[in-house]
Amino acid sequence: MIRKMNLNDPCKPKMAVNIGGGLIIKNPVMTASGTFGYGEEYAPYCDINRLGAVIVKGVSLEPRAGNPPPRIIETPCGMLNAIGLENPGVKIFIKERLPFFKQFDIAVIVNVFGETLDEYKQVVEILSDTEGVHGLEINISCPNVKKGGIVFGTDPDMAYEVTKEIKGITDLPVIVKLTPNVTDVCVIAESVQEAGADAISLINTLTGMSVDIEQRKPHLKNITGGLSGPAIKPVALRMVWQVVKRVNIPVIGVGGITGARDALEFMIVGARAVQIGTANFINPCATVDIIDGIEDYFEKNNITDVNEFIGTLHEER
Amino acid sequence: MLTLKLPGSFQTPMPGQFIMVREKERLDPLLGRPFSIYSFERINDAVIVEILYKIAGKGTSILSMVGEGGLLEIFGPYGRAFDLFPYFKKIVLICGGIGIAPLTFLASHYKRLTDAGDVELICYLGGTGVERLVGIEKIKELCSGVFISTDNGSMGYHGFVTEMFAHDISSYDKEKTMIYACGPRPMLMTLSEMLTMNPLPCQVSLEERMACGVGACLGCTIEVKHREGKGVYTRVCKEGPVFNIQDIAWG
Repeated sequence: MIRKMNLNDPCKPKMAVNIGGGLIIKNPVMTASGTFGYGEEYAPYCDINRLGAVIVKGVSLEPRAGNPPPRIIETPCGMLNAIGLENPGVKIFIKERLPFFKQFDIAVIVNVFGETLDEYKQVVEILSDTEGVHGLEINISCPNVKKGGIVFGTDPDMAYEVTKEIKGITDLPVIVKLTPNVTDVCVIAESVQEAGADAISLINTLTGMSVDIEQRKPHLKNITGGLSGPAIKPVALRMVWQVVKRVNIPVIGVGGITGARDALEFMIVGARAVQIGTANFINPCATVDIIDGIEDYFEKNNITDVNEFIGTLHEER
Repeated sequence: MLTLKLPGSFQTPMPGQFIMVREKERLDPLLGRPFSIYSFERINDAVIVEILYKIAGKGTSILSMVGEGGLLEIFGPYGRAFDLFPYFKKIVLICGGIGIAPLTFLASHYKRLTDAGDVELICYLGGTGVERLVGIEKIKELCSGVFISTDNGSMGYHGFVTEMFAHDISSYDKEKTMIYACGPRPMLMTLSEMLTMNPLPCQVSLEERMACGVGACLGCTIEVKHREGKGVYTRVCKEGPVFNIQDIAWG
């Protein structure tokens, strides 16, 4: 599937990238799941047509109310969240949220969550029969729900199984989103590649905690939450660098990217594309600003095609 | 108080709406802070917005250090505004501390009606002590009656603003009175209980920690009373910050 690209201006650097499974996106910048709602929330402030792809908030088979509040707390250069995958369920998503994207010329990737293998499969089956869905991102890394999610993402055999089963029932490109909350992320990465994943995205949030010393209570009702924002960028970058060396499918870098410079770092270590998460919260136009910043950098450095730039790290100092 | 000069393209806000304020380029604190709009004025090609804040943490203490001419990043106006009801004869504002901010902006929208003599505006304003009360002069210009309370008795009625209001509550006609309130959560919870016994219509503006302010992060949710087809949690930034008081499950 090739989506329309920016071919009208020969002076502009070529920005299109292939993120696996035949999915080519017009530039390497997409939104990270859970940070851009279902698009509509940001449409008044951000030109959605400029984006490479939107990854929508994770959907599950049934509606989920999410965790009781308080759900977020700011930490130095970051934030902890324990939203608990609040979402309207896949059926309402398709009926009420997905049609909004018809007006845009972008790839729509749906983040999929299940408490059981069977639930993952049912959501994937429903989405695979749905027009307007261009790819799936399988969330085996949510730290904020008691069942499913991270349970699949921390065990190489379970990560293999869920990926294999999903690949067996869908023709859509399948990206598997990995958790950093493991000893060796490469083991999980190799496992999902072997199971047939078309791409890997990493990292999801790092499990963390924050305590109110006056009340001696956790700031979050869920006690622990997922850490995101600039604080986690060096960890994410290191993990992307490690995984790129170990797999040959496209790797999508996520974690604390706030500006074009951050995105470029991920691409230099080999990320085929990047996802922008928490930065959307502090600047609704963050994604577009980052796309502009990457193009400026390419023009200044005479880079004519993004693909010449990806994975060009000189490791010797 | 912070006075902000914004470009003329800034959309005209309605009372109860808020803006997200952060210092550009700064990553710690990372998130914008939500502030209710206290006043709004268009002057030639610019917009002047005033907000009230109290130093409560890292974000607000940094705001207090932004000097004259300092640059801030402002997003908004966001959120659901108060509903204005021209047919109520008495409008009662119940403010706790800097909760006066959105209610002063609201009062200025009722001014046309009060000037015409159609509506009477009354304000109950409470704070921990006289030094914590702000905006008294301005609210006095807008309301025909302003009643003040302090927890320590340093000014006006000695006690909570809700206790002061409790003395008068039975004198308000439920067909003709609309209440608006903003203040700390315990104040609003007490008011909510009072209004179950003396049912007067009331809208409140709530404050919650927020990340995005536009309804995407689902971080600022509160529990609401369950309705058919509606979730248990709702977003303060999008469905709020203004709610009908009886819809909130205070817990």
